[in-house]
Amino acid sequence: MANKKKNRNVAIIGIGQTEYSSHKEHQNQAEMVNEAVRRALDDARITMDDVDCVMHGNMELFEMVYQPDLWHEIGTGAYGKEEIRITTGGTTGASLVCAADNLVASGMYDVILAVGLEKLQEGHTTGGITNMADPLWFRHLQTGALTGTTAQEMIEEFGEDRAKRAAMKYRIMMDKHACLNPRAHRRFGLEYDQMDDLMNTSPKLVGELRLIHMCSQSDGACVMVFASEEKAKKLCKHHPPVWIRDHITVHREETLPNLFGFKKPEMTQRYAARKLFERNGIKDPVEYFDVFEMYDPSAWWGLDWLREFLLLKGDEHIKMLEEGEFDLDGKLPVNPSGGVTATNPIGATAMLRPAEAALQIRGDAGEHQLERNVRHALASGFGGTFWTVLIMLEKDLNW
Amino acid sequence: MTEYYGSKLEDIFNSMEDRFRPEGAEGVDAIFCYDIAGEDGGKWQVSVKDKELRVEKVEGNLKGCSVTIITDPETFIGVTLGKIDAGEAFSSGKIKVDGDIGLLTNILPKLFTKYTPPAKDVTSKDIIDTVVERFRADKAEGIDIVIGYDITGEGGGKWSVIVKDGYCSVKEGLDPNCTVTMQMDAKVFVGLNLGLIDGTAAFTSGKVKIEGDMGAAALSAGMFERFKVGVIEGAEELISLKCLPSIDQRFATGPVMGKWFDGLKEKKFYATKCPVCGRTQIPPREICALCRVRCTDFVELGPKGTVTLIDDVYYASPDPLTGEVRETPYAGVYIVLDGASEEEAFAHEIKKEDIDRIKPGMRVRPVWAEKRVGSYKDLLYFEIDE
Repeated sequence: MANKKKNRNVAIIGIGQTEYSSHKEHQNQAEMVNEAVRRALDDARITMDDVDCVMHGNMELFEMVYQPDLWHEIGTGAYGKEEIRITTGGTTGASLVCAADNLVASGMYDVILAVGLEKLQEGHTTGGITNMADPLWFRHLQTGALTGTTAQEMIEEFGEDRAKRAAMKYRIMMDKHACLNPRAHRRFGLEYDQMDDLMNTSPKLVGELRLIHMCSQSDGACVMVFASEEKAKKLCKHHPPVWIRDHITVHREETLPNLFGFKKPEMTQRYAARKLFERNGIKDPVEYFDVFEMYDPSAWWGLDWLREFLLLKGDEHIKMLEEGEFDLDGKLPVNPSGGVTATNPIGATAMLRPAEAALQIRGDAGEHQLERNVRHALASGFGGTFWTVLIMLEKDLNW
Repeated sequence: MTEYYGSKLEDIFNSMEDRFRPEGAEGVDAIFCYDIAGEDGGKWQVSVKDKELRVEKVEGNLKGCSVTIITDPETFIGVTLGKIDAGEAFSSGKIKVDGDIGLLTNILPKLFTKYTPPAKDVTSKDIIDTVVERFRADKAEGIDIVIGYDITGEGGGKWSVIVKDGYCSVKEGLDPNCTVTMQMDAKVFVGLNLGLIDGTAAFTSGKVKIEGDMGAAALSAGMFERFKVGVIEGAEELISLKCLPSIDQRFATGPVMGKWFDGLKEKKFYATKCPVCGRTQIPPREICALCRVRCTDFVELGPKGTVTLIDDVYYASPDPLTGEVRETPYAGVYIVLDGASEEEAFAHEIKKEDIDRIKPGMRVRPVWAEKRVGSYKDLLYFEIDE
């Protein structure tokens, strides 16, 4: 075990997802949750009797339904069980995975069912995000989650044409991946020859951040079932367990302006990757990992953060993108699921990353399954004022 | 004109007058232009002024538009009917908008009631599909019959309706045990069920041929409720509840932020300075999160500073409680104030007139409210210092 503090190994043994869309008028929140719960239990071939603890995660202020864990009880199946609620902004889904990993590793529980969900159409996402800003000062200046600063910095660093092209190539690549994933929310069917058109005609939101670059607002739920090594080996007869090797979460201050002074601090993405890879002996992440499911809220951020997460320098990430190295048949495929620009049910978004990465390891992803033997997977979460969760998954228990 | 989703472009524009809500047009003075491309497209101009509506089909160029919607017929009809997600169509470029987008998101929905497509043509299958739900068990006591329908022509088919023990079921094809079989053209079948054709006359004139037990045919009429068009359209009504919470809140500033707000009254920016790393924090904070120590020293920054980055905002999110939208474009700027540590920028807005000229590296100065009370409203914006 690389992370020596872990008491025992933890596996992902079940995954269930709803389809994602902006039109889920046919079911209420609890019903939506239940759909994913049933699918996850079926996938793990267990019943709620096998589950020791339920974890619930969403951003309650987006729907403005408080104590949602109680409201959703009939959907989660938590009645009479231990239940823990987690709400950490964009990272919620990944925080659920980290907490489940910790709790099962500790020996507290053998089997945990964790639910990440959001029904954004029922609330007001931007209103919610604005209300997360410091009410004493920054709230009146907040513009929701939109900012064009990264675009501006990348244009400055790589030149206008190259930066804009790279961001649009990234976006179209993600759409191509999403089109293979029947659960993905936005599937436009974009083609690379639309690049010039979209670069100029897609409506501007903030600076060079255009509508097409930005993530969607989706409804949907994702559920994962976690088990201790002993339980996993006993329960997993129909598909192999996927092992959580290690995870790291990196928090930071609640203010954003101190990212945009004359001197830029180390991004939490790079800090997380550096620490996690170091303690697991990963020298070259591009070489080591077979897939990366990254929380990419916009095409600009996604592309920029690849440099941080993969510990690349200069324009290495742009070159890799230009040369198709992040495509499904490239050196390190990024977001075969289509990522967050396609699908963004916030409380589930960061859980979708390890869930989709685990499906890739199992070979069960469906049409967007990679052709290679996926043994090592990386998954990230992003939240608030740029904090990061990074999770490593493995096919074999041999590290 | 081509139909999409059962509607034509003309249907939507021609029904605007009937759907117009003068009460939603209070204070609206705008011209909505529609440029719908393609052979089956067209141009329309919808003017709203003094709570009056004028809809015109335009040949040639659209003029005086407050906002123009550029799209194709299929997308426009699909979005109007809710069959295509408007946001998705907009994101993918299938709808382009030129002009004041706020008119579309905030004003347009208030001006009209929802468009519903003209009643769709009823088919034989629609009628057969509702047989079971229209069946009246109380009128079928002791009845054991199989009624065959042999419907010919376009939209026809063969079905058998089985009534037994107070239950009704339908199967495709003609059952060999039919008590009675009725043969007719689909148009006649639909007409009879909608009450547009008289049954006796149709039989007498030979439009309906009946084989088998004539009595059973007469009996069948009383066992079913009348077919209604509404039965197929509102198959499932989905209800959603609307609510608008508004919460009055009070936040304690604490002494450190209290000092900041006090400073604003005097046109001063107070920052705290970390005793360990020397970092200045603005607005001031009691703790340096990096060194985890209390900061008790205040320093005055600026008031002038240097711009590091600019965020030109073209899309302002509506305020969730009031629906108000800030005027766009506006620009947020990151500024390192004189005397601040180099990594610590301060964020605010730039004066509207300076938006086009402002560049990173430029010097700016604050513009203050005339009357300052210790609130965020004391600082209006920054302007280029020249």
